[in-house]
Amino acid sequence: MGCFFSKKSKRKSAEKENLTPTTTSADTAGNSVPLGNNTDEAPKQYSWDKREKVDPKDYTLTGLKDVTVGRLPGTLNGKPFVIQDCENCNIFVLDHSATINIDDCVNCRIVFGPVKGSVFFRDCKDIKCVVACQQFRARDCKKMDVFLCCATQPIIESSTGMKFGCFQYYYPELAFHFKDAGLSIFNNNWSNIHDFTPVSGENNWSLLPEDAKVADFVLAPDPESDFKSVRISTEAARSIVPLTKGGRRKDSEESCLFVFFAGDYTTANARKLIDEATSKGFVLIQTKEVSMKPEDAKRVFQNNADDLVEWINKGPVTALELNGDGAVEACKTIASEVFSGTKVFVSDNKNMSTRDVDSFFNFADMQMGL
Amino acid sequence: MGLLSILRRLKQSPEQEVRLLLLGLDNAGKTTLLKQLAAEDISHITPTQVHPCTRAHRNTLLMSNCEIPLLNFLVKQSGHASVHLLSERLNYPLNLIYVAFHQQGFNIKSVQSSGFKLNVWDIGGQRKIRPYWRNYFENTDVLIYVIDSSDRKRFEETSLELAELLEEEKLAAVPLLVFANKQDLMTASPASELAESLNLHTIRDRMWQVQACSALTAEGVQDGMTWVCRNIKFRKR
Repeated sequence: MGCFFSKKSKRKSAEKENLTPTTTSADTAGNSVPLGNNTDEAPKQYSWDKREKVDPKDYTLTGLKDVTVGRLPGTLNGKPFVIQDCENCNIFVLDHSATINIDDCVNCRIVFGPVKGSVFFRDCKDIKCVVACQQFRARDCKKMDVFLCCATQPIIESSTGMKFGCFQYYYPELAFHFKDAGLSIFNNNWSNIHDFTPVSGENNWSLLPEDAKVADFVLAPDPESDFKSVRISTEAARSIVPLTKGGRRKDSEESCLFVFFAGDYTTANARKLIDEATSKGFVLIQTKEVSMKPEDAKRVFQNNADDLVEWINKGPVTALELNGDGAVEACKTIASEVFSGTKVFVSDNKNMSTRDVDSFFNFADMQMGL
Repeated sequence: MGLLSILRRLKQSPEQEVRLLLLGLDNAGKTTLLKQLAAEDISHITPTQVHPCTRAHRNTLLMSNCEIPLLNFLVKQSGHASVHLLSERLNYPLNLIYVAFHQQGFNIKSVQSSGFKLNVWDIGGQRKIRPYWRNYFENTDVLIYVIDSSDRKRFEETSLELAELLEEEKLAAVPLLVFANKQDLMTASPASELAESLNLHTIRDRMWQVQACSALTAEGVQDGMTWVCRNIKFRKR
């Protein structure tokens, strides 16, 4: 693989100077390509030099029109994916992936299962999509409706007509795909978008109406397509990611902080709480799954901190903000009736509960923003 | 605390303090690389942003009103600034100093490696904020340019940006390390292909190296940093 003698690459023109490469690597045509101009070492072999080579084309959808395409569960398995130059397509990537780049697509309906890294839309127009990812980026895009679950702050650049709503989707393997991608269903920053190119007097982005239904934007796959075997549901109540109000204006001044500690049933408990609270008319504003240190506990839980230190050491906590008149009393009742055997933290009274909520979520934002 | 004495101390760089500038397009993996170097958790990285420290941040930073312009000024002037020194002089906990720098629009970490104290500056790479890169060129000891090896659509764009950087007077003769990042992805282009398409072999005026790596798994990262440390003393001062 490594060569220590001077060799002109056959593909370069004659005018280019002769170089003595000291570190080289053979390219696919067997020519030496210098990787540096002052190292004496032989090039190392890395895991990517030894693994089976794949054809990037197998992970690309290019130039498709008027079709329903994508990947079924279990067929992508954490690999990267690229979509480019597609028009009027329904694209379903129903598996977890490493990262997805989408270029020059027009008038498409798209669903992405959990993406471990970033989803990056570039030069796209008239897109309606459902996306779960660690990072969401869009550049030079126009008119996109995005039902989003994003672990970090979504960003847009040189884009207009961008609308965002909370991720709502279900298929049987989706919960596992979230785990495979290392994403938490409780960490969803779908509503606070950062715009790198704001225009004074205009908004490049806005929120979708609260009652917007995914089914009106992204139709279920054609029953004749390959995707007929996947039992998809777009009903809000079945969504793997809990629906949060996010940055929308709250109806009530009263919010309550409810915290579950790490354990085998944390997710199930959190879902149970959401069901109980929403059935009573309360609204879920935001959720977070985050690790805490003892000093964080002191700041957030104050008087209750000492009691909780051993619990925060077990693993990340799952916190929820519930809003509505009477939320605190309702949460305390639910805690004692439904979760009597479980260690939880619930705001004690409605005078302090806003402070609880702000303390916790400010801490979580700082923790996760750096 | 006297402003002038802080500035004087900041501009005196102890021999072993080194300034590394981390550039590249957005989504190249700069921040992941930075956090990997600092041996920090990389499972939750957010796109890097730019905005000055404002009054609105006052409460978060626990600073008085007059200290905000001071901090903005110090950050602009600081060159070889050690975040530890700033923390000590301003008497703020280290994490608040990091927050302040973060609010300024970039991430900065101090890392010990091969006997050097490396101050690594990670600036955002979005097209709109690339004009800000020039604010950070001065006193750079090594330029580290990060490329997403799997994003073929943007090879031309990153090639152009790198070519422009190499024309910058303030970066003249500064050694260049190109990290061909994201090699963990099966669709990544090998380092040799990237080296060829970037025409790096035409570089005459500085030391350079292409290093394949995965910032996510850390493979290849230390090899790149070893080259960096070996080439610091070659920079013309």
